Amino acid sequence: MILEAKNLNYYYQDGENRRYILRDTNASFEKGKFYTILGHSGSGKTTFMALLSALDEPHSGNVLFHGQDIKQIGYEKYRRNNVGIIFQSYNLVPSFTAVENVLVPMSITENEIPKDRKNVAYNLLDYIGIVKTKADRFVNKLSGGEQQRVAIARALATNVELILADEPTGNLDEEMEQEIIDIFTKLAHEHQKCVIVVTHSNEIAQQSDQIYTLKKGVLTKHE
Amino acid sequence: MNFIKRGALNVTRRIGKSFILLFIIFILGNVIAGAISIQQATSNVERTIKERIGTAATLEIDYQKLDSMSEQEMMEVDWTPIGRDLIRQIGELSYVKYYDYSSSTWLGSDDIQSYEGGMEVHYGDSYNPRFQLKGINYARVLDFEEGRGQLVDGRVFTDDEIENGASVAIISKKLAEENNLHVGDTFALTNKVFDYSAGEEEEIASRDVVLEIIGLFEPQSVAENDGENSDRGMWDWMDIEYQNTVYVSNQVVREENQFHMEAYMAIDEEYAQMIENEEIHEHFSPIFILHSTDVAEAFAEEAMPLIPQLYTVRNVSDHFDNIAGPIKSMATLSGYVLIVSIVASVLIIGLVVLLFLRDRKRELGIYLSLGERRSRVVGQVLLEVMIVAIIGITLSLFTGNLLASGVSDTMMKSDTNQQYQDYYFYGGELHSNLTTDDVIESYQVHLNATYIMMFLVIGLLTILVSTVIPLIYIVRLNPKKILM
Repeated sequence: MILEAKNLNYYYQDGENRRYILRDTNASFEKGKFYTILGHSGSGKTTFMALLSALDEPHSGNVLFHGQDIKQIGYEKYRRNNVGIIFQSYNLVPSFTAVENVLVPMSITENEIPKDRKNVAYNLLDYIGIVKTKADRFVNKLSGGEQQRVAIARALATNVELILADEPTGNLDEEMEQEIIDIFTKLAHEHQKCVIVVTHSNEIAQQSDQIYTLKKGVLTKHE
Repeated sequence: MNFIKRGALNVTRRIGKSFILLFIIFILGNVIAGAISIQQATSNVERTIKERIGTAATLEIDYQKLDSMSEQEMMEVDWTPIGRDLIRQIGELSYVKYYDYSSSTWLGSDDIQSYEGGMEVHYGDSYNPRFQLKGINYARVLDFEEGRGQLVDGRVFTDDEIENGASVAIISKKLAEENNLHVGDTFALTNKVFDYSAGEEEEIASRDVVLEIIGLFEPQSVAENDGENSDRGMWDWMDIEYQNTVYVSNQVVREENQFHMEAYMAIDEEYAQMIENEEIHEHFSPIFILHSTDVAEAFAEEAMPLIPQLYTVRNVSDHFDNIAGPIKSMATLSGYVLIVSIVASVLIIGLVVLLFLRDRKRELGIYLSLGERRSRVVGQVLLEVMIVAIIGITLSLFTGNLLASGVSDTMMKSDTNQQYQDYYFYGGELHSNLTTDDVIESYQVHLNATYIMMFLVIGLLTILVSTVIPLIYIVRLNPKKILM
């Protein structure tokens, strides 16, 4: 088990009332599998994602990485060394080129990175489908699909086991969406990564190894 | 791509914003640099001027005390003048480097012409005592030692000449040139005594004082060379009086005063009887050169109990406040400008940085989501601002200095025009040939290590504070709130 969510609770305080986004949520994730968290808009899937990626803190409950509470690891350190995050809106640094964006996490992580970082970055981008000429372009000169590929390459740059993606195809057309999903499948099956994708798309969910459905703050595992 | 490299890249990649920030820092830097350079120059000027004024002190009648006395108190006051023994006693105090005491009288001459600074002056046939016979006791001539004048030919007195009242004198070079006199020549001054009791001037005694020239001197002053000096008239008057001064021993002056008194005694029995019954006091103006300005107060404290009730100790450095009026007003103004400019800089740069950071909020959130330490995110932005700040501040270091020089020059000139009459200090034996122009000349706005260090520290600290405050506001945010 690489990642576990145990009794996660997250709510917004509204006067004396609590509006629960997640209530006693439990889930577990393994390496080499592609997971989807399926839910409608406002179902709490992005919050769940934020808690798994330590971008936010639960009000109660724990997220365990290899059995260790990520709070004990340290949220910053966990993000730095153990997880790659992909956002719907890519979140790339606009003043940097594609390859520079991939180089950023390499200088942040404490994981072992080969010395020729720039070559590694170029190779990663190439593997994801960004050729060198495009890798040297500023990211705002790339298409949406290309930018999301760069974001995936950036998530892989620190050689982490866990990839979390929040609606990664939300801004892409169908053809591009399938290409991205293929990449995630490949990463899980060929490279033994644990890929967790939050989505509202049934089509994407159907291609995953395991589906969790999130409805009114309650997470249900599909058998 | 560590945070340092990211910061450096951002400066060049966001060139437009970097340039706007550079421009703002440059403008504010000029104001701060100007204020600091004026502050520096004004704080240095007091020390410089006091060194140039010298460390002289004298004993003189306390006119303030005299004014506040009632008639009864004036009747009871001890009018004994400062005597030779008292001067010597005070001169032996440990604070005193050397001292002199001087008596003087005014004589005319049928033999030589007075120096009038190139002006045509006609006195007719009437006796005109234009020459100050200045007696001294310090053979090397204190005025020369202290830089009021400089011996340009011949020699100073010997101790024997002073002791014995030898008929030798030192005169100004211009007076010598006016009368074609040289070292070794003799000239005669005339001591005439007149009686005015009949309502008309009647000469009752006259004798020539023949003196051999042993040396020539020239007055020393910055203002003398300044043809554009607005205080020219005042300066000329002081200069002419000094050019017509004849240095002799106190003994020579004493003999001429004695001649004068005896002539009156011969025609006025009542006066003669009064003089014969009373102790005769000589009037001396003492001058003490102290080891440094720092001991001036201690010297005054120790000398005050020794001197007669009506006298006071007067230090030449007390007059710095009068001379340095424009400098002081400049120092006050620049102090306010410095405080206002620092506060304004913190606010303006802070707001500009905040505006720029709002645009980059998402970027900072990205670094945080990648697990970057908050301190390094702060460090990256600080580095970016500091790169720009160092360039802007270095540029403004030079331009601000030039600006300060120009502004203070203009302000002091206008200040001087309004107040010039207050700056002359010319009283008793405490001559200061230092004028406001000299003060202004010694006020130099220039770059030095202290100034550069002070400016860099104040400038960079101001920018640091301006940047850190808005930065902390952003990096304390949860990355989820920024990105999702």
